[in-house]
Amino acid sequence: MAGKSGRTIDATPKDVWKKNILSWEGMLVILFLLINIFCRCISPNYTMANVLREMPKYLSEIFLLFPMAYILMLGEIDISVGSTVCLSATIACIASNAGIPFPIVIVLTILTGAICGMVNGFILVKFPELPSMIVTLGTQIVFRGIAEIILGSGGSVSVTNTAGFRAIAGKIGPFPYIFFLVLISGAVFIVISIKTIFGRSLYAIGSNSRTSFYSGIKVKKVKFIVFTLMGIFAAIAALFLTSSLYGANTTTGNGFEMDAIAMAVFGGIATTGGKGRLIGGLISAFIIICLRIGLGQINMNPQVILIILGALLICAVLLPNVSAGLKLKKKS
Amino acid sequence: MKKKVLSVLLCAAMAAGMLAGCGGDDKASTDDANKPAASDADGSAAGKKFALVTKSAGNPYNEKEAEGFQQAIESIGGECIIKHPESATADAQVSVIQSLISQGVDSICIAANDENALQAALEDAMAAGIKVSCLDSKTNAASRMTFANQAGTTEIGQALMDAVYDIAGGEGDWAILSATSQATNQNAWIDAMKDIMENDSKYANLNLVEVAYGDDEPVKSTDQTQALLSKYPNLKVICAPTTVGIAAAAKVLQDQSSAVKLTGLGLPSEMAEYIGDDDAHSCPYMFLWNPIDVGRLGAYISAALVDGTITGAAGETFEAGDMPNSPYTIVDAGDGGTEVILGAPFKFDPTNIEEWKTVY
Repeated sequence: MAGKSGRTIDATPKDVWKKNILSWEGMLVILFLLINIFCRCISPNYTMANVLREMPKYLSEIFLLFPMAYILMLGEIDISVGSTVCLSATIACIASNAGIPFPIVIVLTILTGAICGMVNGFILVKFPELPSMIVTLGTQIVFRGIAEIILGSGGSVSVTNTAGFRAIAGKIGPFPYIFFLVLISGAVFIVISIKTIFGRSLYAIGSNSRTSFYSGIKVKKVKFIVFTLMGIFAAIAALFLTSSLYGANTTTGNGFEMDAIAMAVFGGIATTGGKGRLIGGLISAFIIICLRIGLGQINMNPQVILIILGALLICAVLLPNVSAGLKLKKKS
Repeated sequence: MKKKVLSVLLCAAMAAGMLAGCGGDDKASTDDANKPAASDADGSAAGKKFALVTKSAGNPYNEKEAEGFQQAIESIGGECIIKHPESATADAQVSVIQSLISQGVDSICIAANDENALQAALEDAMAAGIKVSCLDSKTNAASRMTFANQAGTTEIGQALMDAVYDIAGGEGDWAILSATSQATNQNAWIDAMKDIMENDSKYANLNLVEVAYGDDEPVKSTDQTQALLSKYPNLKVICAPTTVGIAAAAKVLQDQSSAVKLTGLGLPSEMAEYIGDDDAHSCPYMFLWNPIDVGRLGAYISAALVDGTITGAAGETFEAGDMPNSPYTIVDAGDGGTEVILGAPFKFDPTNIEEWKTVY
């Protein structure tokens, strides 16, 4: 198991039941259950039908979590995704209004996102000395700026031909399509991160980029691919977001980057790179969504909800450190 | 192995979550089934839930509207839910609307952050039997049943025209300081003023010399005011139907102790130091709508929609408690939907400005 990174670095093998339940992900699952029971208790309207109906809007942000987790594993960060979502959503609306068939609208939107991601990737690969925080801060402003120019003086565009967007917002029974898509893409991303050479190289680069380079990992290629993936998934998120908003404006996607980073960090993925597992991020995303829906249903002030989520996040970052400290004490 | 265990745990958690959810489903549906029966039995608002969604928390104008909404709903015995979205975006309002649908409220009254973006969510709400109306700022016609409009174009034109007439003493040169030349609401008000001036001989001795555009920028509005003063030495009154323009012009006129007087639409908090009857103040009085009344009108519209008095079609009338213009009539809004106009704008003069300047 050595070399495989978890939240806690531990030399002893962990493939026993007890260890699993005590692992960060196990804790998250228990927390998820508790949150659901808690929400059920505080709100009589916290039913499966209602939760699933409220969920799609939040689910689109989970698409950002997967590639964001990869970027964090690399030890990088991308704060331009919110703007990529805004620009892709703008293109989606304008393309759809121009009467272009919906499949081509999807392609154009994803292409827009991919180009945004490639721009980030290209700059970071060409100028490795630049910190990704600053580069993506720059592109965050640039992408949103372009979107604002396209949107023009009104700052808002609405979809006139909503048929395509209505179609992707459809449901199978009570489950919206996006629910399945999130789970499937989540599974693919999780498998890639733990079962493939590419996944291993993510952790390797995040742990030590220089050593990875000397051991033959194509660091630049991996970085470029991951940032492009980020752009593509930002575009997918934009498509689904547009299917619930029927339009885009200059505030679309505001703060999404931080939500995605928060989900990942809550799930145990360290921003310093090389640590954490995506499954934790996925579970914590559902924890955050369920908590927001539940507290929203009892009409709690949204600012208070944000404070609760912020406090949870700090606890999530703090807990592993505290428990690691305790373990060290026990051993000595 | 570890992953398998984890996935099993995850699945179990999901299943448990779903089960916990399913438990409540039957109850919710029976509740829904009982609701219409109860409302048929008595037409009162008791036991009904009326929700108001504001543009964002910490918007003082919206909070005054919420206050009015709450007062009116409580006076008719309904339950009032005020929801502030977490940010001033349509996106945040969608979450709030979805949450209100889950709660099974009877009506949603919303100050929209975007005309079109709320359509999907509000259509969902209407499909769930919730009565949707807007106040303050409207959504498109398809996403609402009707709209509590604070600012009827002719009412504003008339109020401003009368103010100019009154302050100028019935005759003389006056000018308009507007926002941008494309601003729809500004142009509608200016056109209304021009119409009134042309069609009524009472205003025949008033001479509109220029419509200047300050683009709603303080500096440009200041420059435009200076330009008006130097170009037209006989100018008596400037009318600025924009909050930015009126504040900028008020400062210029007051600093220069100009004889030119000012009126228009302004925020009491920004204009308090300029409002007064003597020569030391540049603005004798000005207008804006009363947000508390906007909220109350929104509440009465919601109540009338819920008890079936109105459906939102033009021509219907409803009682609005003790509001001055009650009963109100729904009129065509010109965008394919309908609206209810609150009435003439509210006048801010030296007698009430102290009270209002802390409000908004």
